[in-house]
Amino acid sequence: MTVLAEGYNVFDTGKQPSGTIKYLGAPKDVIALIQSGKLKEHILLVRGGTTTFLAPALSMGAIGVVTMSGAPESHLGILSREFQTPCVMTVHLVEGSGSRYVPGETADSHFEEIIEALDGKQVTLDCSDHDKGRVLLSE
Amino acid sequence: MTLTDRSKADYLKRYEPDDDGLRFQPLLYQGNYHGMDPIPDGILGDKIIRSRMKSGVIEKVSHAEVLNDQFTLDELNDLNNYLAWNIWDVLVMRATEGVSGMIPRQEYEILSFMNEFYRYPEFMRMVTDSIGAQGVIDIGESARREVGTKINCVHDWCLGAVAFGMGRCGLLAGEWIKPDEYVEESNIILKFMQRVLWGKRKDGLILNSQDRYRCQIHDDDIIADLRTQIVDFEPGSEEQHIFEQFNATAELLAFFDHYDCRLGLGDTGPYPLPDGRILIVRDLFVNEEVFHWSDVCEELPHCYTLLVVVDPAVVGLEEIRVNDISTTFTLPKNYVPAITGGAVLVREKWDTPMGEVYPVKLHDLEPHLERIREATFKMYKKTAAMSRHTLCLNGIYSYYIEMILPHLRRAGMYDEVCAKKDFWEIDQRVMNYYYEITKRNFVQVTVPMKIFSGAGYLPFSDEADLRASKYFWG
Repeated sequence: MTVLAEGYNVFDTGKQPSGTIKYLGAPKDVIALIQSGKLKEHILLVRGGTTTFLAPALSMGAIGVVTMSGAPESHLGILSREFQTPCVMTVHLVEGSGSRYVPGETADSHFEEIIEALDGKQVTLDCSDHDKGRVLLSE
Repeated sequence: MTLTDRSKADYLKRYEPDDDGLRFQPLLYQGNYHGMDPIPDGILGDKIIRSRMKSGVIEKVSHAEVLNDQFTLDELNDLNNYLAWNIWDVLVMRATEGVSGMIPRQEYEILSFMNEFYRYPEFMRMVTDSIGAQGVIDIGESARREVGTKINCVHDWCLGAVAFGMGRCGLLAGEWIKPDEYVEESNIILKFMQRVLWGKRKDGLILNSQDRYRCQIHDDDIIADLRTQIVDFEPGSEEQHIFEQFNATAELLAFFDHYDCRLGLGDTGPYPLPDGRILIVRDLFVNEEVFHWSDVCEELPHCYTLLVVVDPAVVGLEEIRVNDISTTFTLPKNYVPAITGGAVLVREKWDTPMGEVYPVKLHDLEPHLERIREATFKMYKKTAAMSRHTLCLNGIYSYYIEMILPHLRRAGMYDEVCAKKDFWEIDQRVMNYYYEITKRNFVQVTVPMKIFSGAGYLPFSDEADLRASKYFWG
C-alpha cells in the first residue's frame, strides 16, 4: 500500500484501523460527527496534540487518530495509549513540499497542505513499528 | 508467566546503583550549564546534574534541615537548576503538542504560573505561621495513608516547579522582574515545597527523579489492604477490556475537568507484589467541586482510585517511570496489554474518611462508565460555548487555585485564605499581561523556548540578597 504520511507512533499495536480520514477543525465538527452516529467510520485528523478537543470522540470509541503536532508524551498521546486507539502524531507527507512541523514556527500552509492531501482519503493506519506510524492509502 | 520469568525482567536492572537507565527521548538539556556537556533525560540525567550541584540540597536531607526556614544562595540556585532540568525531563516532548483547538492552554498556563509566583508566598507564609513547619511536613505525610488524595506528586511538585520555577521563568522572560528580585519570596515557596515533598516521601529525598522514578510512598499495611481488592484477569479477557476502558474513560474526564492538564491524574508506585508483578495506584479525579464547570460531573464521585497491576514479563518491561507529575511512562511504551489485575475504589468527596472508601466490581462499572461519558460530552458542549476570555480565566483557576488547594484544605485554611487573602482574585499585573502575552510571539514561541529548553531559569547572582523582597506583606 502507498504510504501517504508518517509520524510518531504513540504505541506499538497490531490493530490496523481503516476508514475515511475526516479533518476536524473546530469543536462543532466533533459534536456533529458524534451526533451523526458515524464516528467509527472515520480516522480522525486534527491539528493539535491535546486531549480536550477530541475528548468525546475518544470516550465514545474513535478507531484511529492522526495529528499534525504533538508527541507520545502529549496528553492526547497518553490518552490514546490508555484507550488503545492507534494514533500517529505530527505527521508529515511522504510526498509534497517536505515541510515539517516546528513548535511555534509553523505556518498555516503546512497544516493546510496535509489536510488537503489526507482529508477524505480511505486509509489504514500502520502502528506496528516501535517509533514510526504510517498512514497508508487503502487500495 | 511465573515469578522466575518476572524476576528476570529487565526493568529491575534500573534499580541497580551503577545502572544509568534508558533514554525515553532523543533531546538533550543545556539549561544554565553553558560550556558543559548537555544532559540527557532519566536516571543518567539525574546523576549528571546532581554531580554539578554546589550544595547538598538535592541529596538526602535531614529533618532538621527541612525545619530550617532559610535556604542558602547555593541551595536556592541548586533547586532552581534541578527543577529546571526536571521540568524539561517531564515536559519537553509534551511541549510539541501545539494548539488545543478548544482551550487556550498555552495562554492560561503562563498567566497562572506568574500569578502563582506573585501570590503563593503570602498563602504559604500564612499557613506556615499557623501550623508551623512541622505542620507543613505533616500535610505531605498525610498522603502516605490515603488514596484519592490530591496531596500527590503533581500537586506537590507544582508548588515549587511551577510557582517558583516556571512562574519566575515567565516573569524573567517578559522582563517584568529581574533575577535578583523576589529572593525572600522564592525561599518561602521552595521551603513550602520541600517540606511537603519531604514529609510525603520520608526517605530524605523530595522528587521521584532522585529515586529512579519511584514514588513508593504508601506504608506497607496500606498496600497490603489494597491488595485484597485486586482481581486478576488474563491478557485479552473481557475483564481486562472493561478495566482498560474504564481507566481510559475516567482518565480522559479527569484531564478535562482540570482543563486539559494532569492535575486530575495521580499515580504512585511502582509497588512490587510478592508474585513479581507491580502495582500502580492511580487516582482519577473526575469531579472537583470547587470549580463551577464541574456541575456536569455532579453525579460522579470526587475520585476513582484504580489499582493497576502490570505483569513485566508480558511486555518485556525495560523501564518504568512514575515521574514527578504523577504520570507513568514505560519502555516499551505500551504497558496496557500487560495489565493483568485491577480494582476500582471510590472516594465520594475529597474529605471522605478512608474507612468509607468502597470498591466497585468490574462487572458493575458500566453505569459509572455511562455517567462519565455523559459528563464528558456535556463538559465538551459547555466548554465549546465559552469565550476565549472565560476559558483563560477558568484555566488560570484550574492551575492557580488547584495546585495549592489540597494543601490549604489539609491545613484547614481554605476558607480563611479565601476570606482574608482574596484567594480567587488574580493579581492585577497578571490580568494586564493577558493583553501582552499574545504579542511578539511571547506565548507561542518565547515562553515554550525559555521554559521547556531550560534557557530561562536564570540563577540568582552572587550579589543577591537573601532578604530581597518586593512584596507588600499586607
